[in-house]
Amino acid sequence: MTDLAESQEPEQAVPLAALFTAFLAVSLCGVGGGGGVVWARRVAVEKRRWLTESEFADIVSLCQFMPGPNIVGIAVCVGAKLRGTIGTIAAVSGFLVIPWVIGISVGLVFLEYAQLTVVRNILGGIAATAAGLLIATGIKLLLPHRRRPTALLFAILAFGLITFAKLPLLAVLFGLAPLSIAIAGSEKTRA
Amino acid sequence: MNDPSAPLALTAHLAQVSSISFGGFPTVLPDVRNFVVTTHGWMTDQDFANIFAIAQSIPGPNMILMMSFVGWKVWGFPGAVASAFATFGPSCTIYFASYRLWDRFRDARWQQIARLGLVPVIMGLVIASGMVMARAADTSWPAVAVTTAAASIALATRLSPMWMLLLGGALGGLGLL
Repeated sequence: MTDLAESQEPEQAVPLAALFTAFLAVSLCGVGGGGGVVWARRVAVEKRRWLTESEFADIVSLCQFMPGPNIVGIAVCVGAKLRGTIGTIAAVSGFLVIPWVIGISVGLVFLEYAQLTVVRNILGGIAATAAGLLIATGIKLLLPHRRRPTALLFAILAFGLITFAKLPLLAVLFGLAPLSIAIAGSEKTRA
Repeated sequence: MNDPSAPLALTAHLAQVSSISFGGFPTVLPDVRNFVVTTHGWMTDQDFANIFAIAQSIPGPNMILMMSFVGWKVWGFPGAVASAFATFGPSCTIYFASYRLWDRFRDARWQQIARLGLVPVIMGLVIASGMVMARAADTSWPAVAVTTAAASIALATRLSPMWMLLLGGALGGLGLL
């Protein structure tokens, strides 16, 4: 893809086939838990420029509050934002249909060889890399907020309560979010 | 296993946990394990652990695939399809409805404030889940170095993550991590 094609107007209607293939790619590339966010951001923000960094961060935030596999939620929301109902269907089908068939076939073969050391070592190396990529994605999505000290404070609190205090996700989410929103609200009224 | 009500019970249970799995499917995994291993004895703990490891390491929608493998164990191919639908169907509907609602009020003042407060907390959580994954994966110093290098390269360049994943997998396969 050339640079010209990448910088097209975001107002143009995104073709349904492009939504399908984009989320097909996101799905096939997202290895390991949370990997999907890395690829969804890479495709929707960096490569296709369908969304800005902060529009994407909004969608990820909304999805965190909903039940279900978050990354499917991202496909639902990006599809709905760009093309409405039919866009959601295109994005979700791209995300699920082909990868599911491949995944089931590969997985059933893999289940036979799960005990092999080489297979385990390769998976270990991929997992270590995937962890680093996820950390970088979180930092990139936080960057638009770097000028608000309270934003950084709440990001660090959320990070610390999970990583060091080992509190459950739901407790951190529903404990910090209302507080953070309340403070953002009072900052906005003062400004 | 041959009980005809087994696939129905599994599908109904998955649809139910799918609608309440706030924070993603990993949060309800302990519940699913209890249901299929302890309550119904459809598979052993070892089966469940193997399915988890594989679902985590093959590309694709891994939690949906994981539940499909569980369905496969109980009822073969139809069980896999039914479990997949039960896992993503209810939550997709909820996602769509809430996105529509959220988008309708996107210029409302309360939502701008909510967004301002919400995004930093969520991104802190995303970084934390990267750290949790790193803790599980980084069993040696070279592995820590791989995680750090991947994060730094991803931050500093626009290199495709695919190259980094391939390299990481190759280093692991050579037994260097």
